[in-house]
Amino acid sequence: MILHILNRPPSHSRVYRQALDAMAEHDRLLLIEDAVTGALISQVEHFQSIAGRLYVLQEDLVSRGLDSHCAEAAHIVDMEGFVRLTEEAEKTVSWY
Amino acid sequence: MSLPSSGSGDLLVILRHPPHGSSWLREGLDVALVAAAFGQAVSLLFQDEGVLALLKEQQAGPLGQKGTAATLDMLAMYDIESLYIDAEALNRFGLHADTLQLPATRVDAEAIKSLLNQHQQVLTF
Amino acid sequence: MRYGLLVMGAPYSSQATHSALRFATALLTQGHQLESVFFYHDGVYNAARHTAPPQDEPHLYDAWCALHTEHGTQLHVCIAAALRRGMLDAREAERHGKLGHSVEAPFELTGLGQLIDLGQNVDRLLTFAP
Repeated sequence: MILHILNRPPSHSRVYRQALDAMAEHDRLLLIEDAVTGALISQVEHFQSIAGRLYVLQEDLVSRGLDSHCAEAAHIVDMEGFVRLTEEAEKTVSWY
Repeated sequence: MSLPSSGSGDLLVILRHPPHGSSWLREGLDVALVAAAFGQAVSLLFQDEGVLALLKEQQAGPLGQKGTAATLDMLAMYDIESLYIDAEALNRFGLHADTLQLPATRVDAEAIKSLLNQHQQVLTF
Repeated sequence: MRYGLLVMGAPYSSQATHSALRFATALLTQGHQLESVFFYHDGVYNAARHTAPPQDEPHLYDAWCALHTEHGTQLHVCIAAALRRGMLDAREAERHGKLGHSVEAPFELTGLGQLIDLGQNVDRLLTFAP
């Protein structure tokens, strides 16, 4: 399993599509920094194809005042959870 | 568009940026060259605007910016011969294989997944 | 587990450095090791010893130095990326005939080979880019 880390939101850049293309069946995607807006209820449809494997970094949601707008489809993780995701993955790939 | 069996290695460098506009492409290629010089089996994947890196007719910039065409010519010398190019991006830009400076294997999303899986390390630039 | 980080964002220009430092602290808290941070692309500016942010902002340079002092994390800066951007240590400044220098210990100018080594020697290598 690969952990893909994305920091650009779908509203800004096509890079999320390349991340999705590159994701195998069990890979996971973590949204950090500006990409956390991808987890908003209005945006999360972009990540439909990886339902259940979408994660979003809590502190980046909170600092942007977005935590109450986050879709249930995204698993919210704190920094400890981010580290755990990297432990569980064989490797990580960053998309920016 | 299946992946050749040689599509595995130590390091996959994904190049997503075009030449000249930023240093991402050049700095990504530098990592690939150094890794190869250190004896690693290196593959390159040209993705999204990175496919523009392979265009035959590119040249130095007006201020003497070296660009990356010369670096591409050095790849073979460093035994970097596994070059892959995102077929979807090629189509999007209306480019054909005969406009490319170097031969690269066209890959679709399935082949890209395999490439990531088959390399120990993946770095994106 | 042994971790390495590749940092490619300039400090204060993007969130990359903040994210990398947050992740570094979290992994150390959870009992992992952080072998080395490799600074490349605009990330080399993290090594600017004259960094002087306002007092009410995080001091990113000091935070890197603290990682080195408290956890032995090596701070490697790509020499080619650094020289192009005017980031010279005392030795390079002398070699290029420049007055003053921008980089000093615990940051260390080194070749890209260190990044390749790092990738081979750690269990996880994470990229933080702008």
